[in-house]
Amino acid sequence: MSQLMGKNMTPHIFGIRHLSPGGAYHLLKFLDEIKPTAVLIEGPADTNSQIEHFTAAGTELPIAVLAYTEELPVRTMFYPFAEYCPEYQALLWAKKNNVYAQFIDLPSEVFLRLEYVNQITPETPNGVQADQSDDVPQGSITTGEDRTESVYQLWAHLAGEDDHDTYWERNFEHNLNKDAYRLSASEFGRSLRELSCDSREEHLRTLLREAYMRSQIQNTIRNGHEPDKIVVITGAYHAPVLGAEYPPMTDEEFASLPRVKTKLTLMPYSYYRLSSRSGYGAGNQAPAYFAMMWNCLINNDRDRLSAEYLSSIVRYLRDSGTPRSAAEVIEGVRLANALAGLHSDSVPALQDLRDAAITCLGHGELSGIAQAIVATEVGTAIGRLPEGVSRTSIQDDFYRELKRLKLDKYRSAIAADLELDLRENRRVKSKEAAYLDLNRSFFLNRLKILNVCFQKKKSNKEAALWYEEWVLQWTPEAEIQLVEATLMGETIELATAYAFKERLDNSSAIADAAAIIRAACECGMPESMEYARSVLQKLAVDTGALEEIAQAVFDLSVVISYGDIRKFDSSHLIPLLEQLFLRGTLLLLNASYCDNNAAASIASAIHRLNAVALEHYTIVDEELWLNTLAQLAECDDRNPKLSGFACAILLERNRVSNEELSQEVARRLSPGIEADLGAGWFEGLSMRNRYALLTRMPLWQYIAEYVASLDNEQFKRALVFLRRAFGEFSLVEKRNICENLAEIWGINHNQVSEHLNEALSPEEEQTVAELNDFDFGDI
Amino acid sequence: MSDNNTLRLPAEKLYEHEIKALVENEKGKIPTGWQMSPQSVLTYITGGKAGKTKITPKYIGNKRLVEIAIATLLTDRALLLIGEPGTAKSWLSEHLTAAINGDSTNVVQGTAGTTEEQIRYSWNYAMLIANGPSQDALVKSPVYRAMESGGIARFEEISRCSSEVQDALISILSEKNISVPELNYEQSARKGFSLIATANTRDRGVNEMSAALKRRFNIIVLPTPGDINTEIEIVRKRVDEMAVNLDLEAALPTDEAVAKVVTIFRELRSGMTLDSKEKVKPPSGVISTAEAISLLANSMALAASFGNGKISNEDIAAGLQGAIVKDEEKDKLVWKEYLDNVLKKRGSEWRELYNACKEMNR
Repeated sequence: MSQLMGKNMTPHIFGIRHLSPGGAYHLLKFLDEIKPTAVLIEGPADTNSQIEHFTAAGTELPIAVLAYTEELPVRTMFYPFAEYCPEYQALLWAKKNNVYAQFIDLPSEVFLRLEYVNQITPETPNGVQADQSDDVPQGSITTGEDRTESVYQLWAHLAGEDDHDTYWERNFEHNLNKDAYRLSASEFGRSLRELSCDSREEHLRTLLREAYMRSQIQNTIRNGHEPDKIVVITGAYHAPVLGAEYPPMTDEEFASLPRVKTKLTLMPYSYYRLSSRSGYGAGNQAPAYFAMMWNCLINNDRDRLSAEYLSSIVRYLRDSGTPRSAAEVIEGVRLANALAGLHSDSVPALQDLRDAAITCLGHGELSGIAQAIVATEVGTAIGRLPEGVSRTSIQDDFYRELKRLKLDKYRSAIAADLELDLRENRRVKSKEAAYLDLNRSFFLNRLKILNVCFQKKKSNKEAALWYEEWVLQWTPEAEIQLVEATLMGETIELATAYAFKERLDNSSAIADAAAIIRAACECGMPESMEYARSVLQKLAVDTGALEEIAQAVFDLSVVISYGDIRKFDSSHLIPLLEQLFLRGTLLLLNASYCDNNAAASIASAIHRLNAVALEHYTIVDEELWLNTLAQLAECDDRNPKLSGFACAILLERNRVSNEELSQEVARRLSPGIEADLGAGWFEGLSMRNRYALLTRMPLWQYIAEYVASLDNEQFKRALVFLRRAFGEFSLVEKRNICENLAEIWGINHNQVSEHLNEALSPEEEQTVAELNDFDFGDI
Repeated sequence: MSDNNTLRLPAEKLYEHEIKALVENEKGKIPTGWQMSPQSVLTYITGGKAGKTKITPKYIGNKRLVEIAIATLLTDRALLLIGEPGTAKSWLSEHLTAAINGDSTNVVQGTAGTTEEQIRYSWNYAMLIANGPSQDALVKSPVYRAMESGGIARFEEISRCSSEVQDALISILSEKNISVPELNYEQSARKGFSLIATANTRDRGVNEMSAALKRRFNIIVLPTPGDINTEIEIVRKRVDEMAVNLDLEAALPTDEAVAKVVTIFRELRSGMTLDSKEKVKPPSGVISTAEAISLLANSMALAASFGNGKISNEDIAAGLQGAIVKDEEKDKLVWKEYLDNVLKKRGSEWRELYNACKEMNR
């Protein structure tokens, strides 16, 4: 290559696109040919400490490098790798051949500071001490990133393609001729540099990164590697300017760059995330498809790709019950080939394959096979790292907690049940052991707040406050979520506190705030609870919605009942509960002017408030509550269902005597009163404890009298709403009603059940059928 | 053959010079039985240049769909174009055949009365009785003729035919021959033979195609124009062409008029105003781009014959009334509601059109 050894200080530069199987394929060939002694890769230099983990046994891709700032606001940088990444394949090659391999881009501490330079100093975009700011073309100052993106688009359109990805695939991934990739990528990068118009900041950043990469390359040469035994793997865009003809960054310059404290870790990644984070340059919308391509490439059988892609879709369709024949796959492959031919391409690109699938397998419509396409293109692969590699502080904390709480064994892929008794265990000596289960509960609840899907709470069957049932199952996804939680705080507790604060600052309804108080109580975090309480108090001042207040009151009451078990002082919540309950009581009568749709939620609000009144009768004004209910029960102008419901509660509480009840029934059912008023009231009445109704004989006595007093036409009308009122009763309850009525009419129990079990006689059927003709009109 | 008095020329005559230019400037590889390369067919349909001749776009919208259609015909598969009425299915099929073989006239029109003979062959009974079965007495169907010449046959509205008739196509498409047992003869298709069928989504379920037949087609669903600008462009272009063809002596509709008609059509079709803020009741009939085109041509005829040669709002209002109110009772309500709820609030530019429409519905 270089005849003038020692003078030519430019190493081999291999321009690639990140996540490009074609690039990886060509790169491996190139490495085998050059046999370099050093492989330099674009990527944050502080990733170097992690290189061994990339290639360690037990690592499964995709994985990602995550760098994040230690201080708020947290800024992050993801750098994902899949198996078909040229960079990853280069690392594998270097390990196999025992060759020096390094990442040479700016370390994350500088990179993250520069990335957000705009936000940090919005008024002075020149805040960067850039040594090459003279190189910036003046015309590019006002332009943004979208301009560069449109350059990509325009380029693709000129080549007759719809989008850049297809352009790239046809022109770079498909050409397997020797050196074709490297040379054309380099040319592509050169032209792109001329055309692109990034914002000034973006451009400055790029120049800084390139200068730093050059300095790292020159360092490597100084350390004794021959320039032509060095291969630099970098984005095609940077490839033209990494040679020795441009000045490298000096150490002083590097030292003067602004920095921010960062941490960097490897984390498992998934194809799903890879595809959802795709940027325009990354080309990873279809990670599973490119993995498929990579497998075909390394087996030297690229022609297999079309058949494999379409068959994989067909397999998915068949599994989900849509039959598709092999003949259709064959037609699909032929169509894809013809489409590629129209673009003078030898093999179909993803776009051709997808269109062929829609035409031949989806019969022209995407909707039928969209799921199959996503499954084939995106895939479900999840990466894995060996034990102990990916350790952010929050992961350390997580594993420490697991150990402390003796939960290690639950960290397995098999779901396991865990039962917790939150009460103090008096048989053990240490305090720690006595409250083990309580602390476990705190821990699991905190994970729930952080959206880490390690645990699932089962619904509490026994409704006991001290008892909880959980299902624990460890998945790689959970690990990813855990790492992402790092961004909220160093430890699980801090992250949870941050999550609470964020949710509180965004909440505008008191029910949200109350739910957070409850959640914070379950997580054992009194500070968050106190903060939530102050937020709730502020919000409570101008809330007038009964449902919300009832929900908040209910949540608060649960927290207050937890008091002893969860070991915290709930006394400062009591005045708040009192105040909110009073507000709810006062709002009740007005809220009950509503239609039947709204009545359902008001009824559940009444139910909640009543439950609180029962439980905390020492705190809240129970007397006022019951009086309000009594008022509601007597009203004719409120929603009749709610009046009935209120009446039912009063019945339960023994606040209504038999006499009063039959008076009320009589009033509601008297002829001339609208049917709805009676039926709705009955419906409401039967929404609560039905046995309380069934045992009140005078009620049935009155109903019997009422029914007897109706003439034929009126009876048919009454039948409609009586049926509606009793429709929700169970069979046994209906039987009880029959027996009640039978007793009143003086018929024996046995006769009743006998009659009920008989089939309908033809005459009876006739009567029932006649009812079908009944004109429901206004009912 | 054709003189200026032909009402409607087939595509290959109408665009003869474009096809000629494309054939002359051909650089690509020409498949057997075709007269130009697939790339040139694409240029013919979607527009471009051939040498110095400008090729007008025939199908505006999704270029990729045209590519898929051409690729399908390349792979000797039959092509089925499905879409709402007025989405240029027949238009596309006519131009594809015109460009590929220069003959778009082998057409079977599918109707409820189409018989199997119209797909295969029938006899000239006078000759049959006089001379017995012979090649001369054979009356060949368009499909038969296309097989003979290695061309493309068109089958319009395939789903209007009864299933028995549709299924006659199965053997033709898989065996690629038609046998004439009376003559002990088999006509095999020459290379280049294919079939383009069109079907209407509104007819779905009338005569559902059998799975066996469907499997022999590559199916492409033609969408209604994706955005308003594409639709305006389509309407303008077609109205221009029709005005020339029909010698309409009126000024072409203004851009504003086209935009208004297309806006009303799109809103009624999607059941929503363009800004998606208001729901609109859609009328019972189909309101396709093709209808917008004929509406404007109609308005031009009205303006030329009874007006001052310029399209007035009254002409457009009359056209709109006819296009939208197809079912007297229901659609009239829908249209009135639209006028009062949407059009009335649109401000001064729409005022006159609104008044004209309102006048019609008094």
